[in-house]
Amino acid sequence: MSMTERILFWLGILILIVGLIGMKADISKLEQKLQQTVQASSEGGEE
Amino acid sequence: MNPKIERIIYAGIIVVLAGLLLSFGKKDLELRKQIPITVEELYEKLGNPKVNIQVIDVRPYELSEEEEEEAEDTDYYTGVHIPGSIPLPDCDESKAPEEALPQISPYIPTVIVSRDGDPEIFKKCAKKFPFAQNLKGGMLAWDEEGYPEDEGEYEPPAAGGGGGCL
Repeated sequence: MSMTERILFWLGILILIVGLIGMKADISKLEQKLQQTVQASSEGGEE
Repeated sequence: MNPKIERIIYAGIIVVLAGLLLSFGKKDLELRKQIPITVEELYEKLGNPKVNIQVIDVRPYELSEEEEEEAEDTDYYTGVHIPGSIPLPDCDESKAPEEALPQISPYIPTVIVSRDGDPEIFKKCAKKFPFAQNLKGGMLAWDEEGYPEDEGEYEPPAAGGGGGCL
C-alpha cells in the first residue's frame, strides 16, 4: 500500500470525523431547543 | 501488514464512520421537523437571498362570496399570504391552483403555513416534504407581528427573478 493511498484514507477518515463532531454539536443544540420549546408549550398550556 | 488487509481495515473504518454520519443526519432532520420555526426566524430567512427556502400555505385557497363575508383575511390564501408563498390547501395537490404545482419541490427546506400553526396538518404535510418545519402560530402570528403580506391570487415568480422574496 503506497504512502499516497494511506494519506488519502486518513484524509477521508479525518473529514468524516470532523463531520461527525459538527453534526453531534448540531444535534445537541437542536435537542436543547426542542426541550425549551416543549417546556414553553407545556407552561403555556398550564396557564 | 499485508496491503490488502490494510486496505480492508481503512475501508471498514470509512464505512462505519459514513454510516454514523448518515444516522446522525437522519436524527438531525427528525429533530428539525419537531421544532417549529418562529415568524421572526422565517422573516429573517426570507429576507436573505442566500437562503433557499419555500413557503407552503395549506389554508384554503379562496372562499365563496358568502364565506368571505364571515371569514377573516387570515383564514384563506387570497385574503392575505406571506409574499412568495405557494398555495397547497390541505397539502392536497388536487386543491392547489394549476400554476402553483410546478413551483413545489419536496426536496428543499420548506416551511408549512397554516392558519394557526396546526400540528395535525403539519404532520400530514411532513410526509410529503422531508425537510419541512411548521410555522409557529401560523398566518395569525405573521399577521400579528405586522410582517409584509400580499393579497389576491397566486402569481408564479417571473423567469430569471432573483432570490429573496421580501
